[in-house]
Amino acid sequence: MIRAILRAQWLSMRTFRLASSRRGAVFSVVIAVFWYGFWTVLAFAAEALLSSPGLRSEILAWMPLALAGVCAYWQLAPLASATMGASLDLRKLLLYPVPRRALFTVEVLLRITTCAEVLLVLTGAGIGILRNPAFGWRLIGRVPVALALFATFNLLLAAGLRSLIERLLNRRGLREVMALVLMLVGVLPRLLMVTGLPARRISGLFPAGRNPFWPWAATAHMMLGEPARVLPAAATLVIWTAVAYWFGRWQFTRSLRYDVQAAQASVSSMKERSFASGLYRLPSMLLRDPIGALVEKELRCLVRTPRFRLVFVMGFSFGLIVWLPMVLRGRGAHSPLSDNFLAVVSIYALTLLGQVTYWNTFGFDRSAAQLYFLAPVALWRTLAGKNIAAAIFIFLEIGAVSAVCSFLPVGISPGMVAEAFLTAGIATLYLLAIGNLGSVNYPRAMSPQRVGAGGARGRAQGLIFLLYPVALLPVFLAYLARYAFNSQLAFCAILAMAAALGTTVYWMAMESAVSTARQRRETIVAELSSGEGPMISE
Amino acid sequence: MPDSPAIAVRDLRKLYGDKAAVDGVDLVVPRGCFFGFLGPNGAGKSTTIRMLTGLIPPTSGSIELLGMPLAGQELEIKKRIGLVPDESLLFDRLTGAEFLEFVGRMYGLARAVAIERARSLLELFELRESRKLIAEYSKGMRKRLAMAASLIHHPDLFLMDEPFEGVDAVGARLMKDILLDQVRRGATIFLTSHVLEVVERLCDRVAIIDKGRIVREGSMDELRGGTESLEDVFVRVVGAGREFHELEWLK
Repeated sequence: MIRAILRAQWLSMRTFRLASSRRGAVFSVVIAVFWYGFWTVLAFAAEALLSSPGLRSEILAWMPLALAGVCAYWQLAPLASATMGASLDLRKLLLYPVPRRALFTVEVLLRITTCAEVLLVLTGAGIGILRNPAFGWRLIGRVPVALALFATFNLLLAAGLRSLIERLLNRRGLREVMALVLMLVGVLPRLLMVTGLPARRISGLFPAGRNPFWPWAATAHMMLGEPARVLPAAATLVIWTAVAYWFGRWQFTRSLRYDVQAAQASVSSMKERSFASGLYRLPSMLLRDPIGALVEKELRCLVRTPRFRLVFVMGFSFGLIVWLPMVLRGRGAHSPLSDNFLAVVSIYALTLLGQVTYWNTFGFDRSAAQLYFLAPVALWRTLAGKNIAAAIFIFLEIGAVSAVCSFLPVGISPGMVAEAFLTAGIATLYLLAIGNLGSVNYPRAMSPQRVGAGGARGRAQGLIFLLYPVALLPVFLAYLARYAFNSQLAFCAILAMAAALGTTVYWMAMESAVSTARQRRETIVAELSSGEGPMISE
Repeated sequence: MPDSPAIAVRDLRKLYGDKAAVDGVDLVVPRGCFFGFLGPNGAGKSTTIRMLTGLIPPTSGSIELLGMPLAGQELEIKKRIGLVPDESLLFDRLTGAEFLEFVGRMYGLARAVAIERARSLLELFELRESRKLIAEYSKGMRKRLAMAASLIHHPDLFLMDEPFEGVDAVGARLMKDILLDQVRRGATIFLTSHVLEVVERLCDRVAIIDKGRIVREGSMDELRGGTESLEDVFVRVVGAGREFHELEWLK
């Protein structure tokens, strides 16, 4: 049964039928090679470090904390990156007489998709310890078993956490709060360190982390501890793994019974105030139809899309949480970051918004995107309408960031706010240009409910990763000129050139995107209408 | 050009690799006709409709709709066509009223007119739950809304792919009455359906497509020859030679 599910997923993932998909698949492979190549290098580094006999005492002292870090990364990285990996599409699989135990086993195995890189590093670390003459191959019976138990514990815990968090994120009203809490949990230690909590007090937490009660410390003791401490450590780790299994099964079973639509049913009793409805109509007062109608439709749809709302909240909260500690660390001293804090956070926010707006602009429309090809409206108007809606949200985001910053001790002036809007606006031109090309070349149906999923296909995300620096380069050059020549005039001149160039690039890209959309309309609609296999890859 | 046919298709082909989904279709649908386009699954019906709507380009052949070539006057033609495609073209995060207003404005109606027509269409199609998002509509409600959207700009030609699929008997009756009313005012309807009783009751003319080719075309009386039902004709034309083999293990 498990094999049947995995085979069905494999068959659903075959992308080598179409020439365009073949190119994309090759690109995905290249990106994967880079990503896992990086982690393989880290695994070799871990092996080299841990095989040094001179570091025996340091290894013994720091191994529990290193494993605690691994555990934290394993559980938090998927949340922080908002990509929770592949999972079973239970709506499809529950139709069949598949035992829950089998479904849970597949779900646990799928957790490897979010942290395969950690397994690489752990393998490197394990080999390093065994090759270290200070420990030696006499530990061959302990190290692999301890690491395997530790990995199993993490997989089970990750499966349970994923089920729990996904359910919470699907609850209307709770998801935005949940997202904030999760982000805070991720960055809280750094925030505390740079905002005044004495380093001594933080390092005082280290002995507590080394307590053999914890699973990471138990793993370390089981691998490297004195023979007398191995059995208690192994027992502790087994108990933790059993608890993680119970937690994972419990949460998974609850998710099986969970009704997403019922949880979100409050939309049916949605009582939108006439004030909000009037706001949606504002763009139509300035823009003629069909662009006015398109912008209005986009505003309504995006605001009602849970995933968009989550990213919008992340845009102004996560950006501040990430960058604020760096500014506060300087305690009033001038630095490029503190001088341009608002601009940096604004640019960060607009890049974050990309995954739910401009990178895959037809994604939330899914099969309904065919209306754009069927209606008597030129395609450039459709793209322009969507771009204007994206720009409105980008500027709203920057407005929100500015409002929050005005309450923080980071010295925000009206001039800085104007500069943030201007630079973000110019960067938006380049990002929209690339986004339009990406939207017609790599369209992908996106689920408005699944808040944890990324906005672009793997290959497109790789492309985005490469193109961000290119798109932001003109604005970066303007800032560079200001610092190099210490001249506001140089900054303004380069910014004006960047704006002119951005406008040209935008229109050229628009023409190209429209031409591509005409040629690929069949493929675009097909890709936006396509379903997935028994698993959902995010 | 009011005398020109509503649809004139000549030697229409659509190839996917070396496989022809539509293989040299010639079709003329007069104005004011209720035309049924039938065929077994995979015969090329949806591909033909998708080419007529401009959603996919033909490999070869020509399409004229309402006297205008689709290749040259696509936008002008689209303004006068009402569509009910097989796949959903509804935006799930809009309410029915918002969607109809949006479609109306996309077809060039003034906002006030679009709002008013949306309201009356929702009444007509019994979709009055104005605060409900389309995501929460049943399949039948979605089909009714899609048909309402196809009417909002008062088109001259309707292209409909399985419009009655998933609609209950009451809803289907309502939709049929509305379509017949449209034909009476002079509109043309080009419809595909697997429900042959519906086609038999509604359509003046019928074409049957199989393996990408038109295998029968004519008025309903010509096709039936006075004695057969449309289902008999259809099965004879496209199902000849197919035998029912019992599976041992299913006995």
